[in-house]
Amino acid sequence: MSGDGTPLLQVRGISKRFGGLQAVHDLSFDLRRGEILALLGPNGAGKTTAFNMIAGYFRTDQGRILFEGRDIAGRKPWDICRIGIARTFQLSKPFSDLTVAENLMVGGFVRRSEIDEIRAKALEIADFLGMGHQAATEVQHLTAFDRRKLELGRALSTEPKLLLMDEVVAGATPSEAQEMVELVRRIRDRGVTILIVEHVMKVIMALSERVIVMESGRLIANGKPKDVVRQPEVLKAYFGEGYAARA
Amino acid sequence: MALRISKNMGAPQLATKSGYGRMATLLVVAAGVVALALPIAMPDPYFVHSCIVVLLFAYMATSWNFVCGYVGQLSIGHAMFAGVGGYATVLIFSRLGISPWLGMLVGGVLAAMLSVVVGYPTFRLKGPYFALTTIAFAEMIRIWVENTDTFLGIPLNGAAGITVPLVGESWVAFQFNGKTPYYYVILVMLVLALLATWRLERSKLGFYLKAIRGDRDAAEALGISPARYQLVALAISAFMTGVGGGFYAQFFRYVNADRLIGVEFSIDLALMSIIGGQGTVFGPLLGAVLLTPIAEITRGHLGGVLPGLHIVIYGIILILAVLYLPKGLIDPLRSILSRLSKNGRSA
Amino acid sequence: MDPLILGFAVVNGLLIGGIYGGVALGLSLIFGVLRVVNFAHGSLLMVGLYTAYWLQALAGIDPYASVIFTVPLLFCMGYFIQRVIIAPLIWRESALVVEPLSALLLTAGVYLVIDNLALMAFGPDVRSASTSLDMPPIMLGPIPVNMQRFIGFSAAILAAIGLVVWLRQTRMGRAIRATAQNRDAAALSGIDVPMIYAVTFGVGTALLGLFGSLLATFIPITPNVGLSFGIRSFIVVVLGGIGSIPGSILGGLVIGVFEAIASQFVPATSAAILSLGLFILILLVRPGGLMGKL
Ligand SMILES: Nc1ncnc2c1ncn2[C@@H]1O[C@H](COP(=O)(O)OP(=O)(O)O)[C@@H](O)[C@H]1O
Ligand SMILES: [Mg+2]
Repeated sequence: MSGDGTPLLQVRGISKRFGGLQAVHDLSFDLRRGEILALLGPNGAGKTTAFNMIAGYFRTDQGRILFEGRDIAGRKPWDICRIGIARTFQLSKPFSDLTVAENLMVGGFVRRSEIDEIRAKALEIADFLGMGHQAATEVQHLTAFDRRKLELGRALSTEPKLLLMDEVVAGATPSEAQEMVELVRRIRDRGVTILIVEHVMKVIMALSERVIVMESGRLIANGKPKDVVRQPEVLKAYFGEGYAARA
Repeated sequence: MALRISKNMGAPQLATKSGYGRMATLLVVAAGVVALALPIAMPDPYFVHSCIVVLLFAYMATSWNFVCGYVGQLSIGHAMFAGVGGYATVLIFSRLGISPWLGMLVGGVLAAMLSVVVGYPTFRLKGPYFALTTIAFAEMIRIWVENTDTFLGIPLNGAAGITVPLVGESWVAFQFNGKTPYYYVILVMLVLALLATWRLERSKLGFYLKAIRGDRDAAEALGISPARYQLVALAISAFMTGVGGGFYAQFFRYVNADRLIGVEFSIDLALMSIIGGQGTVFGPLLGAVLLTPIAEITRGHLGGVLPGLHIVIYGIILILAVLYLPKGLIDPLRSILSRLSKNGRSA
Repeated sequence: MDPLILGFAVVNGLLIGGIYGGVALGLSLIFGVLRVVNFAHGSLLMVGLYTAYWLQALAGIDPYASVIFTVPLLFCMGYFIQRVIIAPLIWRESALVVEPLSALLLTAGVYLVIDNLALMAFGPDVRSASTSLDMPPIMLGPIPVNMQRFIGFSAAILAAIGLVVWLRQTRMGRAIRATAQNRDAAALSGIDVPMIYAVTFGVGTALLGLFGSLLATFIPITPNVGLSFGIRSFIVVVLGGIGSIPGSILGGLVIGVFEAIASQFVPATSAAILSLGLFILILLVRPGGLMGKL
């Protein structure tokens, strides 16, 4: 189940600098159609920054981002969405005075124009998330985890080819994390390619066939989860010098 | 109303909502019938005049709400659009002899064009910054008009304002001896504005505006260019406000910068929408219907003695509404309606 | 352009500009600490002006002496507005930030009430107070300097310095600055935040009492004189950097000189339009203002 091999997304040497801080340095990786790729790294590694460059929220200082062969670096977020890349936010950003169903309808307009069709689609996504019974609930009454699921559902409502997810299980209980992992799998099974950013390693082990690891803005590892976690650079990045030496 | 049913689709809610919907529809129909019959039932010219003022404010507040209520930005400069519409209507009629009906539309288009110029840079600003910038734009225009007697050969008459040249009763010239025709014109305009808002609620533009109001970044991630859709909505709102300014000119037969472009008029529109319930179809109407009579009554009875009384009352109601009813008066009204319809069913 | 006339315009612009800056100090302070844009700012200046006027008209108190009444009165008004009207909003918003638009709407309500109460009470007539003190202009070389304006200007500079020193050196001042930086952290460290807010608001408006007294002798006093001062204060504060005390004075000086020189070339009303345009431009291009941290 590791995709048909043609790269959907090719990141080629992107960099981003904030003042004196090189947040992302010459980052390159490929994302194959149909795979779940995890982007790992300790806090501050530059994951969200890289993510924001792909999603069009930050300009790249240099480098190219090819989606289905076309360079999308520098495009605006709304154009990126139209092209077929959806994203979630690390801190979920629901439209809190709208209902769950309305939240799920907004994204539908990029692909369809019939409102009844969009509504039906939104309800279908609500069911998919296990939130069908909450369709008419205003978001401000939802739990934090339900909001996070809604965030995911909202991204799905734009019918993306590629879904970028930023720390979807942060702060979740183990059973919630399990539910989220299950959801992500089912999204992939619907034919969506997934790039998932996490710093919790455990989740990733269960989820992805391949991981890449960033540290201080650079890519330090790329491979199968169980191999990557044995690499000394990765251990060092995560647990410090001493741990790597002991291991 | 259908709009509520369509927005809420959980199965258990659906039942009560449609009861509520029937109730609301009934209310709207009843209000419509009363509005149609009013000038016939009570033809007293002073009364009809007051009703026209109420409807005009309701129309203007509804126009304001079309963008501000749905996108969650506070414009305190909407009077500039009314001013453009009003001045354009009068000038086009008095200088070119073109019917005010057409003049109003031209005024609306000019207002929409101005709104794009104003909105393009300012919509990037948030909260108070946006509000203050809209005041600044409107004040620039007001001060300019107030101090300009002629511009490119067009007489603006400075602070004195311009009167509509009278030609006697004429449909083409939009001049009537009685008040009743004006009443029906503004009623139709109001109904159109409400319909436009109702359409907005269930349209892509409406969803997009509410998304921008909810969270700009999240909206962008869903394929929405905030600048573009805010501008579209603003232009529509400015067009409506401009046409309203044209009606204002024809009805009062007079425009001047202080009244029509002044901050106070802008604040009135915002205040009525907010007190009634911004971001809803009927909220601004409710606000205007409740507040405008206060002005009419205090002006009529105490106007000479206590000139600012109604605004003092507006101010107090605004403070109370912001503190205790941030969703406007329409919010409790809605819950009463839905409770009533629930009780009706169980009985 | 005659250099003497230009020199006169610059000196006058500096004097008036300093006064603008002084009037704007409170607006900046209140925004800096409470994040509330006080739309009623100009209205409270109007209250100060009328108080000075009536104290003279009814009790024969010289406007300059009326400071001992106007300052406490305006402090109390500000304290009351914060405690009774704005505080409920701040505590209703459980999150860290006040919804700035709601705060603006509240103070807009206060503006409507105060301005129109004044209109009801005093009518639309233009009034002016006069001082019995003899104040001939002093000569700055060939340029005559209006004494009343000079006093207003000096008061603005002193008030700004006083405010900075007070915020730096006193317990209360430090508590205010701590609250401005992080309300919740301040509350955790034992600072009585509601009291700090009310005092800050009070101090911000007390300054308007001071300028009400000092301006009463040369500003035509009407019920709606406040709005134009309020709008100008917004301009000044935005120009100088919101929340910055020295920025407020600097912004005032820039606007004062700008308007004085501009009105040598274009009519005074066009100068007003230009400064509104400048305001919009600053907000769009440099929302942090000249001295802002943003
Ligand atoms: N908008 C920004 N401005 C300045 N610095 C930033 C910005 N966003 C992120 N950074 C910095 O860039 C580095 C990488 O941050 P980020 O990409 O958020 O890391 P991660 O998501 O891996 O935890 C951090 O040091 C962070 O402080
Ligand atoms: Mg991150």
